[in-house]
Amino acid sequence: MRRAVYLAGRGIACARGLSPDAVAEALWQGGYAPANACAATLDHPYFSIATLQGNWRQRAEAAVRHVAATLGPLAPETPLFFASSSFQIGEFEALPAPRNLPIACASPSLTLAEWLGLNGPCHSYATACTSGNAALMAASEQIADGLIDEAVVLGFELANRSTLAGFIAMGLLSPDLGRPFDQARNGLLLGEAVAAVRLSAHHGDWQLRAQTMGLDAHTLTGPTPDGSRIAALAVDCLTQVNLAAADLDLVKVHAGGSPASDLAEARALHTLFGADLPPLLSLKPALGHTLGASTIAELVALTACLDAGHLPGTAAFSHTDPEIGLQAQVDRKLLNARHALLLALGFGGGMGALVLSRRCALP
Amino acid sequence: MRIALTPFSQHLAPATLGAAVRAALGQPLRRAAPYTQLLACGAFQLLLPAERDMPFALLWQTTRGPREETLALLAEVCEGSGEPMPYDFLATQPAIAAAQLQPLLPGLAHAQCSPLAHATGADWQSLLTQAANWLVHGRYARVLCAHIDASPETCTAHWIKLHTAPLEIGAWHLHLSNNPSSDDAPGIADTPDLPAQLVSASAAKLALHSRHAPYRTVEFVRSQPAR
Repeated sequence: MRRAVYLAGRGIACARGLSPDAVAEALWQGGYAPANACAATLDHPYFSIATLQGNWRQRAEAAVRHVAATLGPLAPETPLFFASSSFQIGEFEALPAPRNLPIACASPSLTLAEWLGLNGPCHSYATACTSGNAALMAASEQIADGLIDEAVVLGFELANRSTLAGFIAMGLLSPDLGRPFDQARNGLLLGEAVAAVRLSAHHGDWQLRAQTMGLDAHTLTGPTPDGSRIAALAVDCLTQVNLAAADLDLVKVHAGGSPASDLAEARALHTLFGADLPPLLSLKPALGHTLGASTIAELVALTACLDAGHLPGTAAFSHTDPEIGLQAQVDRKLLNARHALLLALGFGGGMGALVLSRRCALP
Repeated sequence: MRIALTPFSQHLAPATLGAAVRAALGQPLRRAAPYTQLLACGAFQLLLPAERDMPFALLWQTTRGPREETLALLAEVCEGSGEPMPYDFLATQPAIAAAQLQPLLPGLAHAQCSPLAHATGADWQSLLTQAANWLVHGRYARVLCAHIDASPETCTAHWIKLHTAPLEIGAWHLHLSNNPSSDDAPGIADTPDLPAQLVSASAAKLALHSRHAPYRTVEFVRSQPAR
């Protein structure tokens, strides 16, 4: 008998605030202007954590300590599952050439663990924008199998010129706003976030009911246009826990304003729900796309909103794209969500789906 | 369920990597980082042609990661005069390997890169535990686990294929337990070359000694003739 896995604690530092409650309140208020405030952002619109000052390491430590402050008490031996796509490249940018990088590429995870007060096993995951899904799944499986009782899953993405320049070079960024599913969508905006969840076999108001990951390598950076593989992944995830699409009260979509990926995801949603769609929420217009941290950051932000009984509106959506044929939830509203589906897509064809259920809604 | 293991190791000089890829795939793998080429070579070696279309997962770890690719990107961004070339950025993302492999291996259903935090040792403990979990729960019939490292001097790949096929006499299979090792099985270190150690070992049973996740006992056991 596998054990259930619950969300027992959470912390976040992102452009919208330095705690889950602050982020939830900011999302409820609806602000979404990007906030450039650090040198790494190349004068491109970007969702910085404006209140973090100093060099890369100082900002990293401050962010992690903000996260630790709301994560709850941690036993030092608690395992850390670390997710990132850029790791410490922002720190390397400040080194003079020739650069002497550490031999082990995930060595910064040990420093971050120390800042969290952890000295247990440390596992890292680099599957681009679905890194958080990989880390969550690995941690959850160990808890479900009775190997560990608690785990910290940390998503980490701090501003750096290398990532931003790479996205600019590939023509994936919007010059102004991320507009998920909107007719005028013209690309993503990136952001930084450090966010963590404390998973437990015993405590927590939300259960991570099911998680699946898959691969859709239609192109290096985009899914199959008809969305069929995304839909199949979501169905697989729901089937694991005997839920039907109609049971879902909410979908936290991946969509961030990418012309091709948003279209594929929308087609997957049509396949999954037909004409009876639940509210669709995208957090990327408010947080930016936080890449390797996005799954954890958006999980923390979403549950903080739902715990307040709030469903924020999706910022920056104004005109339905006829080809997409659906719209994100624009107006904020009160919502007592029981079951939510969270989708993530990434470079290299990575896909992640997660079903989250409120504990009191379970039999 | 008994989980069969097939270990395999490959050492290549960087200059011969392209030829090894062509020999394995029958075609070059263009614009692919060395780690991707190593993954392609090993997966083709370990999967029978019929298995390449059937769902399988690839779990790989790396100590160095995309180190040379990261240095190249940093040079372009920090010392160069313009934007980096798109592929140079993508090459710093290990996840890209999966997108380059799936067209060649349509059965590749999930790929996961786990970079390592320590310069020495490895984390086969986690890879094998996760892979076995997926086999036991029927998520996949085959999972490939690998430790991949590429440097300007050498390219090294160590692999273990986990599958549920009938065991051959003398072949290794995996034994997992939540209890401490029950007998005096000799230890085997959790290092990148674990598969090579398994190939050369003469013991009938070995217990994995790992700094990671000490809460599960991982043992390698040679299958014995039926009595």
